[in-house]
Amino acid sequence: MMCGDEYRESLRRLKPEVYYLGEKIESVADHPAFIPHVNSVALTYDLARAPEFEELLTTKSHLTGEKINFFTHVHHSCHDLVRKVKSLRALGQQTGSCFARCVGHDALNAIYSVTYDLGKKNGTEYHQRLVNLLKEVQAKDLFLSGAMTDPKGDRSLSPSQQKDPDQHVHIVARKQDGIVVRGAKAHITGAVNAHGHLVMPTTSLKEADQDFAVCCYVPIDTPGVIHIFGRQTNDDRKCSGCLIDQGNPEYGIVGGEALIVFEDVFVPWEHVFMCGEYDFAFDLVERFATAHRQNYGGCKTGLADVLTGATYALAEVQGTVGASHVRDKLVEMVHLAETLYCCSIACSCQGYALPAGNFMADPLLANVTKLNVTRHVYELARLAQDIAGGMLATMPSESDWKNTSVGKYVDKYLKGVADVPAETRMRLLRLIEGMTCGTALVESMHGAGSPQAQKIMLMRRANWEHKKRLAQKLSGTGESRHD
Amino acid sequence: MPGQKRRVSLKYCGSCNPLIDLSRIGQVLPAAISQETDLLFVSAEETNIDTIIILCGCPRACGNKETIRARALRCIVVAGESVDAVPVAEKDISTAIIKKLKPK
Repeated sequence: MMCGDEYRESLRRLKPEVYYLGEKIESVADHPAFIPHVNSVALTYDLARAPEFEELLTTKSHLTGEKINFFTHVHHSCHDLVRKVKSLRALGQQTGSCFARCVGHDALNAIYSVTYDLGKKNGTEYHQRLVNLLKEVQAKDLFLSGAMTDPKGDRSLSPSQQKDPDQHVHIVARKQDGIVVRGAKAHITGAVNAHGHLVMPTTSLKEADQDFAVCCYVPIDTPGVIHIFGRQTNDDRKCSGCLIDQGNPEYGIVGGEALIVFEDVFVPWEHVFMCGEYDFAFDLVERFATAHRQNYGGCKTGLADVLTGATYALAEVQGTVGASHVRDKLVEMVHLAETLYCCSIACSCQGYALPAGNFMADPLLANVTKLNVTRHVYELARLAQDIAGGMLATMPSESDWKNTSVGKYVDKYLKGVADVPAETRMRLLRLIEGMTCGTALVESMHGAGSPQAQKIMLMRRANWEHKKRLAQKLSGTGESRHD
Repeated sequence: MPGQKRRVSLKYCGSCNPLIDLSRIGQVLPAAISQETDLLFVSAEETNIDTIIILCGCPRACGNKETIRARALRCIVVAGESVDAVPVAEKDISTAIIKKLKPK
C-alpha cells in the first residue's frame, strides 16, 4: 500500500494533459489549485497506514489474500458495505471535504458484477479482464476515477439520435488490438489527480445505441485524453497566497471536478469491459448509482460533523451558544446529519449478494439516502449560516486583517467574547463559508445523480402493487371492485 | 515467567465516529505502560502478546472481534466510556487500564 507522499510522487511521474484557467498544467501535485484535492486523496493513503484507522481502511484481497487499501476492495458481505459507510464518515471528519476515491471504488464493484453477468450470458472475457485490472489496482494501490456522466447534448434525444454523437462517449473504431473511443465525460471527481479513469455508459441504452455501450479503463496520460478542470466558488483564493480566507486550505472544497475529453483514444482489448452490449448498460448504471448513492450518508455525515462543530464553536465565540434557539438549531443539525447516516447504514445492512458473489446495497434505500442528502445538506447549511450571522458574507479579508493600517480595526471589531481573538472567529467563519456556499452545496444536489434520477429509481423500485393490495385488504376494496 | 516482562499491545476499532479521544488515549498508554517495570509495549502485529487493549470509540465496539482477541492471552476492551463493560469517565480510562494491567 502506498503512503500519501508515494501517491504524490506517482502523480509526478505521470504526464496527463490538464488545463486550468486557460493554461496547461505541468504538475498537478505541485500546483496550488490542485494541492488541496491531492492532499485529500493522499490522506486516504496515509490513514490506511495509521493504527487508529487501519481496521476501517484496510482489508484482505479476496483475489490474492494480500493486505490492501479498502478503496480497492470488492465487497463480499453486508459488513463490508457498512464498513465502507463508516470509513467515509471517518474520512469526511478528517478532511471536511471530498476525498474522491469512492467513485472509482464503486465503479470497480459495479463493473465486477456486470462483467460476470455478461460472461454468463455471452461467454465474454470481460470479467477476467476486470479481475486482472483489479489485481493491478490492488497491488499498486491505484486511485481510479469513475467516469459515468456524459455531456448528453439534447436531453430529449437518445445517444444515437443526437445531432452530435460525441455528446456521449462512443466507439468510433473496432480494431484487431482494441477499440477507439470519442466523446467526453463531465464533472468527474478527482479526474486530474487519479491514475486512470473507469469509463461507463451514463444511461440505459437501446439497440440503436450499441456504439455507446462502452465500458473501459483509460490511464490518465493516454494520448488523446484531455482534462479541463472546473472552477469552484472562491477558487482564486487558493492561488492568492492567503490561508485563512480559503477556509480549509489543507483539503479544500469538494473533490475537484473536470471535463474529460476523449479525442479518438485507443483502448487495448485488455482494458475493454463492455463493447456494444447495450442491454447490460442499465444494470451497470443502476449498480454503480446504488453503490455511490449508498455513500452519501457516510461522507456527508462526516462533513456535517465538522460543520456542526464549527457552528457550535462559532456560537461560543460570538456569545450566542446559550440562546435556546441556537441550541435548538444545533440539535436540528445533529438530527439531520444522523438521519443521513441512518439511511446509509440501513441500505448497507439490507444489501445482498449479486451473482458474481459481491454485495450491493439495497437500491431503494440507497436512493432514499441520496435524495435526503439533496435536501438535508442544504438545510444543514441554512442552519449553520443562520447561526453564523451576516459576517459570513461581509467579513474583511485576511490581507486587511494583516494590514498595518487597518488590521487593528479588523481585530477590534471582529472580536466576539472577550477572551477569544478575532482570528479564531475569522477562521471558523471562513470554514463555514467554504462548506456552505456555492460549489459544496451543488455537489450535494447533483453528485451521484440529480434528485430526479433518485425519484426515477424509487418509482421503479417501490412495490406499488403490494402497497395497493395492503390498502385494498384493509379497506375492503378488492381488485374486483375496479375490474 | 519470573523476571520476564509482560507484552502489552494496542489495537484500534477503526475510529469511524469515536465518542472519546482515541488518539489521545493511544498516545498516553504506551508511555504509561513503559513506566511499569514489568510491562513492555509492543506492536499489535507481533506475536506472544500477553494482553491486547482493544480501543473502541463507542459502545458498538467494532474492534472487539475474535480475530483481534486471538492475538493475545488476555484482552481489555475499551468501548466509549467503559473498560471491560464497567463505566469509566474518559479522563480516567488510561489509569483504569494501567490498574488492570498491574498484578493483583
